[in-house]
Amino acid sequence: MKVPDSAVQITDDSLTIHLTNVPVVDAFTFPPPTQDVPGISPFQLIPATVSFDITYTKTGNRRTIRPGSDDPLSPLNWAGKMWDARNHGTFSVRYNNNSFSESGTFDSVSSSGVNFGEMGTERNGVFVSREEEDGNNDEQEEAQSSLPLKPTQTNQVAATGTAKPAAKWVLLKGRVPVKVTH
Amino acid sequence: MRSKLGYLLFLLLAFSVSLSAQIDPIPNLPVQPIPLPGGDILPPYGLFNQFFPGPPNATPFPFDPINADPQGITNFRGVTAMGYTSGMTDDKQFVVITDIRVYQGEYIGGETADAVNTAGATRSAHAHGTFVEI
Repeated sequence: MKVPDSAVQITDDSLTIHLTNVPVVDAFTFPPPTQDVPGISPFQLIPATVSFDITYTKTGNRRTIRPGSDDPLSPLNWAGKMWDARNHGTFSVRYNNNSFSESGTFDSVSSSGVNFGEMGTERNGVFVSREEEDGNNDEQEEAQSSLPLKPTQTNQVAATGTAKPAAKWVLLKGRVPVKVTH
Repeated sequence: MRSKLGYLLFLLLAFSVSLSAQIDPIPNLPVQPIPLPGGDILPPYGLFNQFFPGPPNATPFPFDPINADPQGITNFRGVTAMGYTSGMTDDKQFVVITDIRVYQGEYIGGETADAVNTAGATRSAHAHGTFVEI
């Protein structure tokens, strides 16, 4: 779902999101049945709301991801600079009919180990194919850089962007300001 | 009863909420983000337009490669954060497992090209947004 930019705060090495009363549905199974299936359905959706705060924090070294495939369906057809990330936060959930509610905390680090997470900057789809063709991509520009993700970094990109007023796909080469909330 | 509710909560946060993790249509958003064209094929559901990156040799269910795209939106450039969380409810009765992802940046999505003379046919459009998959 789309949320206000202000719901997310980005610092040098972390990202925090705060959301309240996000509408969700409880479908009981994943993936959801497409029709009633004995033993799985009846297909039932229960409206609920979830509130949570989560902070993702970078750990370890940067991984520079370059497209590993040109197959648009491949999981490796993207590029970016990613770090492993841990997370922690709080949550609450409530059925809209008030028949069920709970609250608690979560953490990527538990007694059973560390759950996977990651954060960074990335681009996929037309932003990969177009920029790989042009040789104009962040990985080449910053291949040796170890700078962490910073709010000012995205602003800097915007400031040095080369957006052109022409229509069509020229727009894809433009870089728009990314609003960062402190 | 509590174990039943615990199972319910587990499903709510780990499963059904992840259902929303697939990019769905967003009402009243002029430029709709486009889901990844690929994803995981999950029988009997079919194609789920999302990858689940993670470390190798996970059991009982394997992850996609650790460098699998964590995004749910295609034609996207910006900040991505994701993580599999685990935790407990305050009353220590239930285990909670989630997959929550945050995206902020620019994207090429679809907007209505001609709402008068078509049924709503799209054209590509450039936009900025912050999205969360729960």
